[in-house]
Amino acid sequence: MSGPLHTPLCDKLGIEYPIVAFTHCKDVAVAVINAGGFAVLGEAMHAPDHIAADIKWIRDRVNGKPFGIDLVLPSSVPEERTVEQLLAEIPQTHRDFEQMIKHKYNVPDPKEAPNLHIWGGLDQKRALAQVEVVFDERVPVFASGLGSPAFLLKRAHQLGIQVWGLVGKPRQAKKQIAAGTDVIIAQGYDAAGHTGNIGTFSIVPQVVDAARGSGVPVIAAGGVTTGRHLAAALALGADGVWTGSLWLASRESDLNLPLKERLIEAETDDTVYSDCISGYTMRTTRCPWHNEWLSPGAPEPLKPPLQMLLSANYIQGSLDYQRKDLMTEAAGQGIHYVTEMKPARQILSDLVDGALDVFDRFASA
Amino acid sequence: MSSTDSHRPEETASEAGYREGFDEAMRGRRAECDGGKGIEGTHFAGRQEFAGVLTGHYRDFGDYPWRWYLMTDLTRKPSGYAHDGVWCAAESLVFEGEE
Repeated sequence: MSGPLHTPLCDKLGIEYPIVAFTHCKDVAVAVINAGGFAVLGEAMHAPDHIAADIKWIRDRVNGKPFGIDLVLPSSVPEERTVEQLLAEIPQTHRDFEQMIKHKYNVPDPKEAPNLHIWGGLDQKRALAQVEVVFDERVPVFASGLGSPAFLLKRAHQLGIQVWGLVGKPRQAKKQIAAGTDVIIAQGYDAAGHTGNIGTFSIVPQVVDAARGSGVPVIAAGGVTTGRHLAAALALGADGVWTGSLWLASRESDLNLPLKERLIEAETDDTVYSDCISGYTMRTTRCPWHNEWLSPGAPEPLKPPLQMLLSANYIQGSLDYQRKDLMTEAAGQGIHYVTEMKPARQILSDLVDGALDVFDRFASA
Repeated sequence: MSSTDSHRPEETASEAGYREGFDEAMRGRRAECDGGKGIEGTHFAGRQEFAGVLTGHYRDFGDYPWRWYLMTDLTRKPSGYAHDGVWCAAESLVFEGEE
């Protein structure tokens, strides 16, 4: 196949369209892969045996087509403490503020208290155990969603595994390209969850420039939700796009229905870049928790992981009782264009058609 | 208690999951760390930026090895970060004058 959407990334992966779906839902991944795109399944919070089972599940449904697994490699780690030590550090003022929110919005208690004792394991040992599964299973692509994967490149390449690195700064891209990373994902501030502070339109061409001559494809991430975004990313020099929010409300997505409705209703302004959920700055959809913590006179959010310990009951309660008015989810600024619950195949097809329309318009001008 | 205090040389690699060492050439080097980690209990991650001075202490995880350096005298750290030091993956470090 040739045409404006056929890029070196398509050849590198053997895919039809340079569209990567990042998702935590296996059904979305399979639907995108079988429609001609590529999917990377986020497995950061799963144990090794769970990851192995998910890999097998996908393999059984994609007829040999490639896919990827994304893990969060840590890149800085403070000392570890017990959950009891952490809980003891939460000031009473913050506990009182959390209780005020609970009463003001009638936030239900979770059906089961979040199991705080499984927390704190996202350290180097756990990451390495997860990586081993990716290696054992010879997953075609390993994507590092945060830290540099440079230390494992040699072994991955010996096993025939491509290694992708997601960056939020041009200097991170330069280091990873020099180390031999196979594909760089340049993620802009528009994106969901953890991002750098550089906008997509600014970071993508800088990373493309850094990769020039290396043969390393660059994938644009952050706010990509339409064919126009795809066309613009290619015009900036990217070889493809990384999309996440686009799939959250898809038919196949396993998010609960009220949360999908909330995402469909959400506007760009409804995504907030704040540290009030976890203590880390991240982009999530606005909810009463944000409104209260961002209001004048509210306490300063605590450092990680204390703020997450504080918000855990609110978040779990909102999900357990499907309280759309309370729910929050990581979503990028492109959420404005997520307006209906479509099958993943159609979402991909709309993206392709939209981009081709742009190129046709320029060709006929 | 700071992350500096978590340095326990009596631990063996099999118990702690890492091997410890000291690299004199790294001691006193100023660096920035493009850090972060997964957020406990979620599938999200968070970025954190640090700047400070490497002590020279390192930890190697796995067979690769995956090397981590201890950074102290922090001149930049996230708001609310209460520790005196932080362990940084070697590849996340940018040394003064390197960028």
